[in-house]
Amino acid sequence: MIFKVALKNFARQGMRSVLNVVVTALAMVAVVFNLSLYNGFQDQAVHNMQATDVAGGHYRSQGFDLLSPMDWEDHTFEVPGSLASLPASEKAEVLLLQGQIFPNRRLFPVQLRGMEMEQTLLDLPFDKLKEWDKPAMDILPIIIGKQMAAKAHLSLGDTVVLRWRDKFGAVDALDAQVVDVVPLINPRIDEGVAWLRLDHLQQITQRPDEVSWVAVKEFKGEVDGKQFKSPEDLMQDILSLIRQDRRYAVVIWVILIFLAGISVFNTQYLNIFKRQREIGTLMAFGMPPGRIVRLFTLEGSLAAFSAVIVGLILGTVILGWFQSVGLDVSHLSESQIPIRENIYLQINPLEVIASVLVIVSIMILVAWFPVRKISKVDPTLALRGRAIT
Amino acid sequence: MLVIDHISKVYQVGGQNFTALHDISLEIEVGAFMSFVGPSGSGKTTIINLIGGLDQPTSGKILFQGKDLGKMDRNDLADYRRKNVGFIFQSYNLLPVYTVYENVLFPLLLNDIKESAVRDKVRNLVDQVGLSDQINKKPTELSGGQCQRVAIARALVKDPALVLADEPTANLDAENSYHILELMLKLNREFKAAFIFCTHDEKVTKYVRREVRLEDGFVEWDKSKQPEGHLI
Repeated sequence: MIFKVALKNFARQGMRSVLNVVVTALAMVAVVFNLSLYNGFQDQAVHNMQATDVAGGHYRSQGFDLLSPMDWEDHTFEVPGSLASLPASEKAEVLLLQGQIFPNRRLFPVQLRGMEMEQTLLDLPFDKLKEWDKPAMDILPIIIGKQMAAKAHLSLGDTVVLRWRDKFGAVDALDAQVVDVVPLINPRIDEGVAWLRLDHLQQITQRPDEVSWVAVKEFKGEVDGKQFKSPEDLMQDILSLIRQDRRYAVVIWVILIFLAGISVFNTQYLNIFKRQREIGTLMAFGMPPGRIVRLFTLEGSLAAFSAVIVGLILGTVILGWFQSVGLDVSHLSESQIPIRENIYLQINPLEVIASVLVIVSIMILVAWFPVRKISKVDPTLALRGRAIT
Repeated sequence: MLVIDHISKVYQVGGQNFTALHDISLEIEVGAFMSFVGPSGSGKTTIINLIGGLDQPTSGKILFQGKDLGKMDRNDLADYRRKNVGFIFQSYNLLPVYTVYENVLFPLLLNDIKESAVRDKVRNLVDQVGLSDQINKKPTELSGGQCQRVAIARALVKDPALVLADEPTANLDAENSYHILELMLKLNREFKAAFIFCTHDEKVTKYVRREVRLEDGFVEWDKSKQPEGHLI
C-alpha cells in the first residue's frame, strides 16, 4: 500500500517531481562529466607523451640527463646489437645535440633531434624528412613544430643557417630548409626543437651509428650496461602533476556532490515544508509516524531512481554529443602540458557507479531527514503548518 | 462512550505557562451531535485535539470506551485515530494530488483494507454527499462546499465512533453551511457516529442537540436542547 501511495504521490506532483528529478539527474551528469573530463585529460596527456617521445621506455648511457645540455655530447653511444636488431615497430633511435639557428640574423639555440626514419614506434609526422633524397652536403632538411615556427618566426620553405659542433669540437654550419611545419601534440618535442634525419645529424656531427637513446616498445632486459628509463621515470613530472590533479579532482568531486546534495536537500526540504499540512492530515488519519517516514522516504527514493534513469538518458545525449566534438584545448599550446588537440571524456564505470550511489544515498537521506523530524512533532503543529519553520 | 475526567491543558508560551483548559469533566454518549462553542482562545480546538488523540492533557484522563488516551504512546494514539476518529477540518485538508474517490478511499487503505473490497462503499458514500458527478475530480477543481462534502465522506468512510469537526463551516457561505449541516445531521442518524463540533458559527448551534460553552478554558455551561435545524 505504501509503495502504491508513494508512487501516486510522486507521479502526480507534476513540476515539483520533475524539477527534483531533473536537478538530481543534471547533478549526476555534471559530476560524471567532470570526473571523465579529468580522466580524459590525464590519459590523453600520458598517451601523447608515450606516442611521441617516451614509448615503453628509453635505453640511455649512464649519466645522461636531458636537463644538462652541456653533457649531451658526452653521452652518445653506438646502438648495441640487441637493440639495433629490433624491428622498426619496436624501437626508435634518437640523437640529441645542441645547435643554433639564425632566423632573421638572430641566434636561436635549438635542440637538434635526429630521428631514425625507419621507425614506426613513435607517431611523428616526419614524411617530408623521409622523402628528402638530396645528400646532406648543400642543404639540410629540417622539420619544426608549429609552436617552434611561431617562436622563431619561421615558415614552410624558409632557409636558415644551422650551426653545430661535431664530435671533435669543430664548429660547422650549413643552410637548413624548413621542409615542413607540423602540429605536434607534445610541446616538449616542439618548442626549441629542430628535427633532422638521424643519418643527417650523425653525418654532420661525425657520429656514425651514435645515438643518445633508443626508445623501445617495452623493456628488453639489461643491455650492455645501458641504463633503462621506464615510462614512469621519463614522465615523472607529468605523472606527479596528474597525481596532484587527482587530489584536486577529488576535492572538486566532493564540492560538486556537496552542491548537488544541497540542491536536492533544498528541493526536498521545500517539498516537505509545503506538505506539512498533508503530513499533519496523515497523522490525524492515524498513519503511524514510522509509516509516514517510510512513505516520504520512498517518494524521495522514487525521485532518486527516476533521476538515475533521466541522468542516464541526459548523460547519454550530453556526453555522447561531447564525445563527438571534444573540448578544444589549443589554448594550452603555450603550456608544457602535452595536449594540443581536442580532449575527450574517459568514463570510468567505477567512478560513475560510486558518484550515482552517493547522490542517490544523499537524496534518500534528505528525503528521510526532514520527515523524520516532522513525524516526531506534535500533529497539531503539523496540521497548522508550523512543524518546520 | 467518551469520558473526560478533570482534564487540564497547560502550554508553554514565551517561557510562561498558559492554561488552555481548567479541570474539565464531561461525558459524551454514542451518536451525540454536539458542539463546543465560545470565543477565540476559549479552548475549543484544544479540547477537540485532546479528544482526537492529537494532543495529550497535562492532567486528568480521557477515557474512550474505558481506555485512557493519556496512557497511549504515539503509535497507540495513531491506532486509536485510525480506527475510531474521523476529522473534518476548517480548510478541508484534502490530499491535493488525489481525486474525490481516492481521498475518500484513503482512510480505508490506511486500515489495510483492499480497494476492491470497499469500492462500492466509497462510491455510495460519495453519492450520499452528492458528488457522484465529481468523483474523478481533484480538490482544486471543486468549490469549498464540495471540498467539505468530500471531507465529510472521508471522515465517515471508516465508520468511526467519533467525527470531530473543527470550524467545519468557517470557510463556507451561508447556503453551503446549511447544506453541510443538514448532510452531517443526516449522516449522524444513519451512521450513529458522534459528531462533535467546535465552532462559533451560530448556524451550527441551531442544529446540535447539546452545546457546551467554554470561556477562558472553563465550562461556562453545558446544555442539551431541541435542535432548530431544517430536518428536525
